[in-house]
Amino acid sequence: MNCVINSGSLYETSSYFYIRKSEVRVKYYGLIESVVLSFLNNYFKESVLAIVELIDVKKVYPLGKTEVHAVKGVSFEICKGDFISIAGPSGSGKSTILNMIGCIDVPTEGSVLINGTETGGLSDKNITELRHEVLGFIFQSFNLIPVLNVYENVEFPLLLGKSDMSKKEKTDWIDMLIEEVGLSEWRNHKPNELSGGQRQRVAIARALATKPEIVLADEPTANLDSVTSEAIITLMKKINRDLGTTFIFSTHDPSIVEVADHIIKLRDGLITENYRHEDSRACGSDD
Amino acid sequence: MRDVKIALRNLTRQKKRTILLAAAIAFGIYIITMINGFTGSFIENVSENFSNMLAGHIFVEGVEKSETGRTLNIVRNDEELMLAIEETNTPWKYITKRSDLGGTLIFAGESMRQSITGANWEIEEYFKQRIILKEGTFEQMQEEKQGIILSEKVAEKLNVEIGDRLLVKCRTYTGQQNVGEFVLTAVLIDASMFGGTTAYANISYVNELLNLQPEEYMTLGIYLEDMDLIDQAAAALYANLQTKVSMFERQSDDDENPIIAMLEQQDEEEWEGLRFQLMTLNDIMKEVQQIVNVLNTAALIILLVLFGIIMVGVTNTFRMVLMERTKEIGTMRAVGMQRGIVRKLFLYEAFFISVIGVVSGLILAGLTMFILMQIYWGVETPAFMLMKNGYMTFILSPLQVLANFAIVSGLTLVAAFFPSNKAAKLQPADALRSTN
Ligand SMILES: Nc1ncnc2c1ncn2[C@@H]1O[C@H](COP(=O)(O)OP(=O)(O)OP(=O)(O)O)[C@@H](O)[C@H]1O
Ligand SMILES: [Mg+2]
Repeated sequence: MNCVINSGSLYETSSYFYIRKSEVRVKYYGLIESVVLSFLNNYFKESVLAIVELIDVKKVYPLGKTEVHAVKGVSFEICKGDFISIAGPSGSGKSTILNMIGCIDVPTEGSVLINGTETGGLSDKNITELRHEVLGFIFQSFNLIPVLNVYENVEFPLLLGKSDMSKKEKTDWIDMLIEEVGLSEWRNHKPNELSGGQRQRVAIARALATKPEIVLADEPTANLDSVTSEAIITLMKKINRDLGTTFIFSTHDPSIVEVADHIIKLRDGLITENYRHEDSRACGSDD
Repeated sequence: MRDVKIALRNLTRQKKRTILLAAAIAFGIYIITMINGFTGSFIENVSENFSNMLAGHIFVEGVEKSETGRTLNIVRNDEELMLAIEETNTPWKYITKRSDLGGTLIFAGESMRQSITGANWEIEEYFKQRIILKEGTFEQMQEEKQGIILSEKVAEKLNVEIGDRLLVKCRTYTGQQNVGEFVLTAVLIDASMFGGTTAYANISYVNELLNLQPEEYMTLGIYLEDMDLIDQAAAALYANLQTKVSMFERQSDDDENPIIAMLEQQDEEEWEGLRFQLMTLNDIMKEVQQIVNVLNTAALIILLVLFGIIMVGVTNTFRMVLMERTKEIGTMRAVGMQRGIVRKLFLYEAFFISVIGVVSGLILAGLTMFILMQIYWGVETPAFMLMKNGYMTFILSPLQVLANFAIVSGLTLVAAFFPSNKAAKLQPADALRSTN
């Protein structure tokens, strides 16, 4: 018998061998085969499986009597812990794709999987729960709740679902987040008393409040000057590294694209480039 | 708590709008509360004023038919009446016996028609408490057999002073011409709307002028301890009297005024001797009750129209709010707020507006009532019957207030529900794309 190093060929060889012996043996081995495969599959899922997966996603918007094909069949995977940039000119479908990943919009065709779960079949209640627990959002125009102050805005998502944090833990966690984004002094101010950069920092802190696995940011720096933009990107990158949170952000600013681990470029609703930076860590590795 | 907090803060975002909407609700509640308060006291004041005027809650009168076909009121012997009152345990407080005389008072060339009520001042305790004399006393009345009490206005018109003697031209019970003389003993401050047309004298002298026996009289009036007992006591008394004397039927037809029905019956029928009739204040008040019913119906229509307008206002306001906050709703939904909570936020907001409106409307109504109750309107206004001794009164049942509150906030919530539901059903992506 050959010395087989490839597990796949081991099964092939042995199957082949046993098929000739008896039907029972084939069945027996087939069982082992499926157990091993599912183990491998699970192991794969745990560590290196894509946290987000898009399979041939299309989005068509009705526009009067015509239709707009905003996304025309897009497939890609996103690894856990990555810093991903979705780039492309205006109207290329960046927001549409981010909305579908964020489960605030549904694809016309194809599937979006979050942590291996097909989101298409979930009820509004479950989708909302998924958004609350797994996803965080940062918007181009900040979208803070005007009647709440900085602390309350950051706290807001935490009040929406059940939480296993004690009151003290909660306060400490929120204060830590506010400190992290450098707004401790502004804790009790309302959004309209803050600058754009400061508002976006509040939004970042809010997006992190529920400790989401994925943070989605649709052009988070479009409303900010270049210095502030850089600071915001640096902050997001730092959080990405410190907490291992997956960041997916869209931008059309080439200088910002460069800091990403994984870059997806779009044009007219299709992917034109999809690559990882060579110097970024390997997808799925733990460091 | 979080929802309540956000809803409360949302109220302060467009203060002017919140205030306007709450003011509209307050205005509605104000009008309704005023009308309710007014009609609540209306019936009570009117019946009290009537009972003062008529000297009782239940009246028993004997009725005779003269040869000329006129009906005459008289009680010749009240033994049976008194026995019936005793046997039925009528809860009376005061009993009055009065005779009425229509006549013309003449003094120094001035003359005036007056209805002169003859009363026994020894037993008219209730009346004496209610009447305020400007000059003279009731003791003097009891001493002066031919004494007369005129209202201030009449005394002025006839230009008489205490001690002056007035001539009276009248007819006896059976219709003969008669003349007598009164001495002005007291002047009363008009304490009833009819003060100007009624004068008070001693029954003994009035009976003389009417050519009646001293122990005879026309109307037996019974004041009960409690006005609520009128119907019950009257029914018992009527049943008992039926076994003793011949009674006129008491009509219980709801549509017709029972007194008018009885008078019609007396006009048509022929009979010999004395028959009795029993009337109550409630019979008289039936007409008034109809007025109250009309008022209440009007109030209800006003209420419905007003709240229709308020509901349209609430719906429109919340449509506007929804448009303004579309993006915010999208954000909250994206962050993980469930649909139901979005709806709840808006409904809380609507509820708080209605609470603010209702409370301020009630406070305003309370203040207005308080001020109106302090004003003395006098007794010469035609509205006197609606008031209590010349003062306006308002009676509001807490249940009514509560019901009004429930109706208003219920309707506000219904009006706010549709925009709220629409807000809750927004697709987060569509909401976030909103340019507001
Ligand atoms: N709700 C909608 N109804 C109709 N068409 C839409 C809708 N949303 C987006 N589109 C269209 O879909 C296409 C992709 O839009 P999308 O917003 O995803 O682009 P984008 O890459 O985010 O552009 P930008 O950089 O300007 O934000 C555009 O042509 C746009 O006009
Ligand atoms: Mg966009």
